[in-house]
Amino acid sequence: MTRNFTTDKSMTTSEPSRRSVLRAVMYTAAAVPFGLPLAACATGGGGGEDEQSASPGGTVDAKNPFGMAENTTIDAVIFDGGYGVDYVEFAGTVLAGLHDGSSVKVSPSTQIATELQPRFVGGNPPDLVDNSGAQSIGFNTILDQLEDLTDVIDAPNVEGTTIRDTLYEGVLEPGTYGDKFAALNYVLTVYGVWYSGTLFEKNGWQPPTTWEEAKALGAEAKKADKYLFLWGTEAATYYQTLAIESAIKEGGDEVRLALENLKPDCWSHDALQATFSIMKEIVDAGYFKPGGSGTQFTAAQAQWSNKQEALLYPSGSWIENEMKDQTADDFQMKGVPSFSVTANAAMPATALHLTAGEPFIVPSQAKSVAGGKELLRVMLSKEAATNFSKTKLAPTIVKDIVPEDGFGSTALVSQTEMLSGAGSDIFTFNFVNTYGMNQEQLPIWNSFLDGKKSVADLTKELQAITDRIANDDTIEKIEVS
Amino acid sequence: MTAIPGAGQVLPTDEGAPAGPGRGPRRGRRAGGWSFDTVSFFVVFLGLPLALFLVFVIWPFAQAAFYALTNWSGFTTEFDVVGLANFTTLLQDPRFTNAVGNSVMFGLFIPFITIVIALTFAILITVGGSGRGQVRGVRGSGFYRVVSLFPYVIPAIAVGIMWRLILDPSNGLVNGILTGLGLERFQSFAWLGNVGTAMPVTMFVVVWGFVGFYMLLFIAAIKGVPSEIYEAARIDGAGRWRTSWSITLPLIRDNVQTAYIYLGIIALDLFVYVQALNPQGGPDNSTLVMSQQLFRTAFTEGKFGYASAMGVAMAVVTLVFAALVFTVNRLAGGRSERGRA
Repeated sequence: MTRNFTTDKSMTTSEPSRRSVLRAVMYTAAAVPFGLPLAACATGGGGGEDEQSASPGGTVDAKNPFGMAENTTIDAVIFDGGYGVDYVEFAGTVLAGLHDGSSVKVSPSTQIATELQPRFVGGNPPDLVDNSGAQSIGFNTILDQLEDLTDVIDAPNVEGTTIRDTLYEGVLEPGTYGDKFAALNYVLTVYGVWYSGTLFEKNGWQPPTTWEEAKALGAEAKKADKYLFLWGTEAATYYQTLAIESAIKEGGDEVRLALENLKPDCWSHDALQATFSIMKEIVDAGYFKPGGSGTQFTAAQAQWSNKQEALLYPSGSWIENEMKDQTADDFQMKGVPSFSVTANAAMPATALHLTAGEPFIVPSQAKSVAGGKELLRVMLSKEAATNFSKTKLAPTIVKDIVPEDGFGSTALVSQTEMLSGAGSDIFTFNFVNTYGMNQEQLPIWNSFLDGKKSVADLTKELQAITDRIANDDTIEKIEVS
Repeated sequence: MTAIPGAGQVLPTDEGAPAGPGRGPRRGRRAGGWSFDTVSFFVVFLGLPLALFLVFVIWPFAQAAFYALTNWSGFTTEFDVVGLANFTTLLQDPRFTNAVGNSVMFGLFIPFITIVIALTFAILITVGGSGRGQVRGVRGSGFYRVVSLFPYVIPAIAVGIMWRLILDPSNGLVNGILTGLGLERFQSFAWLGNVGTAMPVTMFVVVWGFVGFYMLLFIAAIKGVPSEIYEAARIDGAGRWRTSWSITLPLIRDNVQTAYIYLGIIALDLFVYVQALNPQGGPDNSTLVMSQQLFRTAFTEGKFGYASAMGVAMAVVTLVFAALVFTVNRLAGGRSERGRA
């Protein structure tokens, strides 16, 4: 055994003793990290080409627009996050009812990238994937291995209406990369600032619509021995999202496009700088609950939703479902659109950051591409969408599903109100996710919210990340317009 | 190797029985090492482990080293060989060099602190007791021995999560006690969220987890030292410090070296701990380590080729560390095989 380790010069002169064996063992152990990136390896496995032509099989008609073969078992890997996987199982049951003999096998996963990486390489990816969560696969890495889902949108839904006509406006954009509609984002996500209706009513507070009002409310909160905001270390960038929203409202598309297309000095735009400055004032005034940079984010969120130590929390609309078990009784969660910076902003105060989340993808090499698409079609049916909104208290991208009473959820009612208030003044941005910047931005925002960074530092460091990606030719850029 | 003559020795008895039906003598001398016994011995004890080693250790290493020369994204079957480009990028990548710096800090401090503490405890428990009568440990040493192993029994990820809760700024035990003692400045103090404290606290958690195990290792080593030596030293008037420094430490030198290297490897990896305590890399990336950056590059950025290059770099750092420990030990006089008897 020791002969393998010829790097050690002394080895040639000495007999293999206990000592040298021990040393050899150590070298072996020292080499352990070598194996790390190879948790799943071997590119040689894939015989993808011949599988691609897997039999389309079934007949194509209005009931089966993609020609799914009979007796198909659809293989779906679903991110098991805030929304669970039961809504896909529900759609699976509906699908089984529509197509005798076919069924859906739903596998939950929280580690999409690590779990599916070998399957993509091996050429046998699942038929449908919910590529979501912290461990999702970066879209620029797998884009050319995905089906264009335009035909799903143009197909009739289970009730017979063309699916495109049943969807909210702008919800296809988050899944469109260049000219390819590669991901169908199922859940409608309304970004805003959330608060307790009961608490505000009791104290006679008004939810702020501008940053100045927010600052004034911070002073009120201080009097009530509360904080205005709080944050958790993994979610510090929620405040980045809020800042970008305010800046886009202030400066319009100009700000959005500069950020999306990784332009030089995009973070130095006046609108962003104005937002950062007033945020800094709020941080310096002590209106942020200290210690956020060391607090796990759901624990921090519970300090807002359960202990009510802070008044406001900026987040997407998943927050209600995420904190369901840790929300004070009679909290009456409500939301307002992100704050404006000045009165003469480019967009009205009601303008809304609206996007769709939970990107569902159909890999081209999947055994049953038609099956994956068919399951998506069923998920977009009225029955499945209603089931989702009712059980998850969140809207899907399918319109006219949520009733007046929001299934008893004030947050859901408030989302519907924000949506109708915004009308066509909706916007979204993707660059953070597209280029996987969040991880790098988190420490910067943690320090900023801690009061340890100036606006100049913040701007410089965020710009450095943008510049690094912009100048890295190995990263494929996606032009946004 | 020594097993071959051993296995052969069984055969001559057969050979010495000339009345045998020819089976014995024929196999005896000529086949020598090739009897069924020998062959099966080779297959089971050499062939199988070697095959497993080649397939599951050497082959992945070779693959990693190869992928380090490519631009493989990790999700396709196609890639180009880009030569050493990944390594040149690596040297200029501030994120990676920062991670290397952090890993080196962990690699310097964690083994040292752990070993000093573990050794101190081990000495106290085995030979640090009363100066009269038989050589023995402090009172209640059996109890301490068991208790100190508890942290090691807990899985690393649980240790990380537990300490994260203990160190929670608002509801954690640590700040609860400190503010309870009247230290108001620790109200909502983020131990893991301040550049000054995040790394020391992370080190503390790791040390806490490993001290017990290495203490046990040293106890076993010290038990192997004949107690006459201690008794003789004591008769000569050596105190506890003197015995520890001049007798215990030199006699268990090899164990300390082994422990140092294992701890170094743990400290240079550390993935589980940092991922549990500060998954986003800590304040200003002050606790971001190589393995974390590697994982991020591979799975969130989809650059497996580049990540493999990081893996190779990590292995190099680890080997350099091991070489350093050997060198230091040798320079300090560890070459001679004293105390082996």
